[in-house]
Amino acid sequence: MKKRGLISVAAAAALAVSSLVGFAPASHAKAKTITLAFQGPLTGEEASVGQDELAGMQYAIKLFNAKNKGKYKVKVVQADDQGDPAQSAKVAPGIASNKKIIGLVGAAYSGATIAALPYYKQRGLAMVSPSATRVSITDPADGNIGFPVFHRVVPTDKVQGPALFKLATKGVSSPKVYIVDDQSAYGVGLVDYMKPTIPAGQGAGFDSVSDRTTDWSATIAKVKTAGANVVIYTGYFPQAAPFFKQLRDSGYTGILAGGDGVLSPTFVTLAPASVLEGVRLTAGTVPLAEIDAALEADFAKKMGKASGVYAAESIDATNVFLSCVAKGISKRPAMLKCVKAYSGKSLTGTTIKFNQYGDVAGGVMNGFEVKSGVIKFTGAVK
Amino acid sequence: MIGNFLDQFWSLTFGGLSLGFIYILIALGYTMVYGVLRMINFANSEIFMVGTFATIIIIRDVFQFTQTSEYATGFRLWLILGTALISAMLVSGILSMLVEMVAYRRLRRMNSGVLAPLISAIGVSMVLSESVRILTDSRPVASPRAMEKKFLGQFFDAGIRIDNTIIVISALILFGILVTFVNKTRMGKAIRAVSMNPNAARLMGINIDGVVSATFLVGGLMTGAAGFFYTLKYENTSAFIGFELGIAAFTAAILGGIGNIKGAFYGGLALGLLETYASFFLGTQWKAVTVFVVLVLVLYTRPNGLFGEALTQTRA
Repeated sequence: MKKRGLISVAAAAALAVSSLVGFAPASHAKAKTITLAFQGPLTGEEASVGQDELAGMQYAIKLFNAKNKGKYKVKVVQADDQGDPAQSAKVAPGIASNKKIIGLVGAAYSGATIAALPYYKQRGLAMVSPSATRVSITDPADGNIGFPVFHRVVPTDKVQGPALFKLATKGVSSPKVYIVDDQSAYGVGLVDYMKPTIPAGQGAGFDSVSDRTTDWSATIAKVKTAGANVVIYTGYFPQAAPFFKQLRDSGYTGILAGGDGVLSPTFVTLAPASVLEGVRLTAGTVPLAEIDAALEADFAKKMGKASGVYAAESIDATNVFLSCVAKGISKRPAMLKCVKAYSGKSLTGTTIKFNQYGDVAGGVMNGFEVKSGVIKFTGAVK
Repeated sequence: MIGNFLDQFWSLTFGGLSLGFIYILIALGYTMVYGVLRMINFANSEIFMVGTFATIIIIRDVFQFTQTSEYATGFRLWLILGTALISAMLVSGILSMLVEMVAYRRLRRMNSGVLAPLISAIGVSMVLSESVRILTDSRPVASPRAMEKKFLGQFFDAGIRIDNTIIVISALILFGILVTFVNKTRMGKAIRAVSMNPNAARLMGINIDGVVSATFLVGGLMTGAAGFFYTLKYENTSAFIGFELGIAAFTAAILGGIGNIKGAFYGGLALGLLETYASFFLGTQWKAVTVFVVLVLVLYTRPNGLFGEALTQTRA
């Protein structure tokens, strides 16, 4: 655990350096330089999530800068919170007090978002998160802790939990559902919102497994003892793939399902195609390739890697700010006002418009299924 | 619950055993170095991680397997597994030796005490895991499946799977070779001498640097083999895999008595089984708690672990 503390210190130092570089004066003489920030895990164990979202943001900005050459030049300051609330509370003051930053895409994680909120609220920095789905951030019953600066372009776990259960049990005549969470606030939350919607007699059992688990034999033994024919995992893809693989290898033949944390192009590379065949997934987004294969190809070409989870949301979140930049906004109060009044189309064509609490209205959950090693869109979960 | 446990007993036991043997091999990496230098080589967890990647590179890139490939059979299968095992061992063994030369040797010569090598070890560990993280784009990496995971037979209710069987048998053989090496060879004798009294060993004309290098090499070979077995069983790795497995194996080494080869063996087995049973009985979320409660209880009665600390007294 000493190790982790050291990593944090190193990361903080690295951040300080990268921030300084970020403020270097623009080389384009005429173009107006606008600075936005990204906050999420960029190093450490959750780094893939943050790196993927950052790539989405940079992609959106690349397109914008190319389109507005000579007029605007948008830059990104990267704030690495490692997905950790403690780290987030360390980097947030620096971002909050840097007046050049007029908008923040993030934070990627809900816990980190909550830790950073006091600083951003104090300095009136508008936030649009691509992936912080915890209900309490915008829930008036919880004190509406995100108001007024927090916004998000994803539906919350309140919508996803029940949808995931519905999708997992679809077409199963007498479902016995075993549900496993990854002990994260995300995973546990999904299960909490799913529980009230489980019909009597359909719940076969629950397990809560650390996201560092590599050997799943105990959970698998429990699934078998419970005689489950549907297994739902509410965690992320790096754990979902080995879990599903070990479950199948043990002789389990029922349905496997997961939430948006599992929906990543990398997921299908982590286990043999035959093992993942038929895995059902829900998400508030659609992978870029599913929206438009050409879009994904362009993304891969420009960013040098395939898009990840929340790529579409990251682009959507960035576009909220960019549309305001295009209106000539260059100060925080005006930006916050502009974001609140924003109304535009997402990549999938739905309308992004925030309600008074910062949530996007009418979020839809989509269903997916793995077929021959590819994640296929199967339509909205109804 | 008890009835359920009995139903699943053998399948849990087989899973726990093969995990335990992986722990044993990593624990040997910690224990060999501790036995000789009285130093915890924190970088050992990353030596393991590199071993898992070496295995994947052989299977995926050298033998060109993908997630949709046909499984290999017969001679080709054994060739692939053998090449992967030897490569993982060599890569980890040599890396382990290099780490010692770069990060510890000078500190040791300057008599820097215990803290400087500790920090140096943590530093090496960070450098290795972050470098691999950057190389892999922070993503987990999977090994394509080269060997069909078929069941060899049935033992009560539990199926005996081929990968678990290979792991247990090969790990036992490797362990036997290591014990013979330490107890029967000239270099083994030198290692034990340095472990017992480095100054006297130097006066007797033993090349301390050579012995230390050999120790790191042997520890690395074992840890690399663990990387191969881990990949064979779980088929997934990431830049951070070392942390979890490293802590577990380190715990196993302490449980058995660090610095003691026999201790690593029983500590690893005990931990693998304990983790698996505890996860089933109490829920997986209680696994770590149970393990550490047991560890503390053991250390209360036997502060040096089950078998004591000395490499020199080992007669496994």
